[in-house]
Amino acid sequence: MNGMMERKPMIAQKNYVHEMVTLRIFATILLVSIAIAQIFPFVWIFSYSIKKSGDLFGPELLSFPGNPQWGNYYKAFFDGKIPLYLSNTLKIVIPSVAFATILPFMLAYACTRMEWKLKKLVWLLVVVGMTIPIHTTLLPNFIWYRTFRLLDTHLGLIISNVAFSMSFNTIVFSGLLAGIPRSMEEAAFIEGAGYSVILPKIIAPMATTGFVTVGVQTFLSHWNEFIMANTFLSTELKRTLPFSIILFSGQYVSDYAVQFACMTLVALPPLVLYFILSKWILAGVTAGAIKG
Amino acid sequence: MKRKNALALVCAILAVSAVFAGGGSDGKKSDGKIILKMGDNLPDRKNGYGAVIETINTEFKAIHPEVEIVTESYQDQPWQEKVKIYATANQLPDVLKYWSFGGMMKPLIDAGLVEKMKIADFKSYGYMAGSLEGNVFDNELYGIPISGDMWVVYVNKGLFKKAGVPVPTTWDEIIASAPKFKAIGVTPMVTNGKEGWPLCELFDNISQRINGDFKRVDSAINRKAKYTDPDFVQAAAYMQKLVKAGVFQENLSTSDYGDARNMFGQERAAMYMMGSWEMSLATDQNFSEPFRNNLDVIKFPVVKGGKGSADDVLAWFGGNYIISSTSKHKDIAYEYVKYLGKRFGEIAWETQACFPAQKVTPRANDTVVSKKLLQIAADAKSTSGTPGLDRSDSVFKEDHQELIRQLCALMITPEEFAKKLDASAARAATQE
Amino acid sequence: MNSLFNNKKVVALLVLPGLCVMLFAIAAPLVISVIFSFVKWAGFGKIRFIGFGNYARLIKDEVFWRSLINVLALILVTVFIQNVFAFFIASMMTKLSGGLSRVLRTIYFIPATLSLVVVTRLWVNIFHPDYGVLNKILRLIGAGDAAKAWLGNPDTALWAVIWIMIWQGFGWALLFFYGGLMTVPKELEEAAIVDGANRGQLYMHVVLPYMMPVVQSIVIIDVISSMKQMEMAYLSTEGGPGNTTQFIALYLYQRAFKYSEYGYGNAISVLFVIIAVGLTLVIQRMFRKSVDQI
Repeated sequence: MNGMMERKPMIAQKNYVHEMVTLRIFATILLVSIAIAQIFPFVWIFSYSIKKSGDLFGPELLSFPGNPQWGNYYKAFFDGKIPLYLSNTLKIVIPSVAFATILPFMLAYACTRMEWKLKKLVWLLVVVGMTIPIHTTLLPNFIWYRTFRLLDTHLGLIISNVAFSMSFNTIVFSGLLAGIPRSMEEAAFIEGAGYSVILPKIIAPMATTGFVTVGVQTFLSHWNEFIMANTFLSTELKRTLPFSIILFSGQYVSDYAVQFACMTLVALPPLVLYFILSKWILAGVTAGAIKG
Repeated sequence: MKRKNALALVCAILAVSAVFAGGGSDGKKSDGKIILKMGDNLPDRKNGYGAVIETINTEFKAIHPEVEIVTESYQDQPWQEKVKIYATANQLPDVLKYWSFGGMMKPLIDAGLVEKMKIADFKSYGYMAGSLEGNVFDNELYGIPISGDMWVVYVNKGLFKKAGVPVPTTWDEIIASAPKFKAIGVTPMVTNGKEGWPLCELFDNISQRINGDFKRVDSAINRKAKYTDPDFVQAAAYMQKLVKAGVFQENLSTSDYGDARNMFGQERAAMYMMGSWEMSLATDQNFSEPFRNNLDVIKFPVVKGGKGSADDVLAWFGGNYIISSTSKHKDIAYEYVKYLGKRFGEIAWETQACFPAQKVTPRANDTVVSKKLLQIAADAKSTSGTPGLDRSDSVFKEDHQELIRQLCALMITPEEFAKKLDASAARAATQE
Repeated sequence: MNSLFNNKKVVALLVLPGLCVMLFAIAAPLVISVIFSFVKWAGFGKIRFIGFGNYARLIKDEVFWRSLINVLALILVTVFIQNVFAFFIASMMTKLSGGLSRVLRTIYFIPATLSLVVVTRLWVNIFHPDYGVLNKILRLIGAGDAAKAWLGNPDTALWAVIWIMIWQGFGWALLFFYGGLMTVPKELEEAAIVDGANRGQLYMHVVLPYMMPVVQSIVIIDVISSMKQMEMAYLSTEGGPGNTTQFIALYLYQRAFKYSEYGYGNAISVLFVIIAVGLTLVIQRMFRKSVDQI
């Protein structure tokens, strides 16, 4: 009896190891191919952005030119008004990400850790709010925001951005906050500390992964927000970064290389930020997934 | 401690951002300059119309140093969409390049969004007969015409030679030439299929080549005739014949204005069906010199056995400039428009940029293309006026474009096309 | 102690800012949308009240139903193809060394950081029949006949557009699944292996049930973001050819700003909200049932 029991796990393990080796080889090939598929489009665009436009029609798949036309980037940067649009995007994104992180944190705290009458109703609103698409407010906001003189303003976009991030971010925070034992606040309260101390100094640090997840996700979505900015902003001086690509598809319609240079430039900021923060981002997102 | 500092920093950034975020200009910069906001469908400021406008803007600013001009430009259809968005938001620019078609002007005029102009102010600027009048609604002038537009076909003589094909005068010849162009890896003809309206012009024009009468389209819109009449169905069927024969580019339905123009300019296509406003192709530095030297333009071909001749020209006065009634700088805007009227025709012809709505003096060194266009205009025996899709309301226009796209994508039959188009025309007629 | 967690002033301070923003920027506009769904208006000019006229027309509008079907197609492809694939890849990655797995994760997530304007234009260029990379590759390997106008051909347009959408979404799905997989305790896996479970059984009976909450979040996020798709279709095909790539959010935008039918656009908007909320509730119910079964 005992002998049999010992042999079974050994055999199972051996088969398992065999499986592992072949799978390993197959897996590596597959994974590398996918990696190529993910970044190849980007590399392709970049390679043609430093060529001359006509070269695009040649038969080669991908080639890097002997004499890179960096002038294309110069044109893309200045004619595409990248500094202006970049500063506009920052003006919108910094406040909107900040508020879209702090306000949901506050709301989640109240909904998960405090007792009050309308709690269930507000929570229902939060959950329902997540299902509402941005585009359903595009049309009515023309009337609504116009009344408050919010059309064609950066403030209007900030408000909309924050509003649409509230639901998801609140839910993420609530998942994290629910697990904290009440004793944390109680101990601090006994020591004489009020909420102005408890929240930032005790609770917030415990939700760091939440802040990271929420911060990153919100940053990416607000940074790349396009349709509201495109529809509501009319003054050219106020436009945001994605618009420079649209601008180029008209103005430099014959000059593909410059268009591609513009696309590369616009894609860079979030990409660079992502590389810098990637460790945090990956950790935060995976943690968020578990709590989500 | 660290956290408190971080918090303080964040608050400071927020405060500063919030101050800037509300920023909205009321049309005046802090140094007292008046900002004149303009919008148009001329994204290319180095060629064609765009270049002419830039020259005019520079001259105008020299005369009026207190004025700053800020222009936003889109391609055609996006610009039309933008105008509607701005009208809804009450954010129209001060001066707009627009279209004089009733279907487009009337909604804006009825909503009180267009400023009236005095026709007397423009009488001396050499406008061609009918052009100013086309901008008069309810006995008031609402805009000044910019261009005289004719529907033509641009050809690349070099590619024709290479393929061993003579320059065509009939559509049947074009169909026959398709395989020869394919053999040298070139698309026979390109046009802007994504937006649809060039195909609508094609439809109007082919209909005339078949039935010999431009007024038939007007009758269909006015419900004295129907789009389901045999001549129109035949025209629709003929268009499908062209598509099936491979005359147009493969990605016709996603090929937008810039894409089609580029394919022609980069010598990937032998013919480009578009309007006379593209005469600046001949001077566009983005394209090679061989291309520009090989450029020519021909009259819209005829259909064998049809009643229309090559001298029946689909022509209209299309583009115009209007002033929005919500502008805060109406006086200066009007000064601008008057200056535009005065100088546009001259500069346009001098730089061979486009075909203005004003009379021009032909010169010896005009490009081949411009000389030909003048010739086509002079030879014209009958003209169409406003194209069909613009003779009715917005919904009809969109329906027309959508149906034409489906027709050319071979997704519906000519009979279905005719039926649905006619239904839309009927619906529009009952809306009044 | 009670006063600590019941403090009304604090609750108000915490709740009101966020709540007000949501009411102002979401709830109020929705109410306005409902109001304007009962009129006929070009966005400027006269307004005419027409009761349920827009809704009656909407029920018969084949383009609307087409756009809804396309949204459903996108959801199905995202949930059953993109997610399954992402799960598969994520599970492979859990077997790799920490360093390699981090490098790959970083690379895989790159498309998710890009603006969708960039992503869309990128793929429009790749799909271009003339100079696009896809057709060039096909011609190079001798499959030139398969080369077509991917976005222009009514048979392929929808799938091309959906491809663009899942290409970008892959990074997020991968990361979520990876995070979820990492939480499965090793002992659980090893115990199952010792018991003689093969790979398939391992995943079906141990890993997946453990990860149900993660899967649920991902599916719900997928449904919601699929319904929100508009910009990619807007910037590539504009719903064409022949409405094969029409999506609800895009359709309502076009009705308002191309057809000048603002009231009709709002009616579509209202129906859209109802469908979105309804669909989400259904999915949540489905998951609750399946969790109960386990």
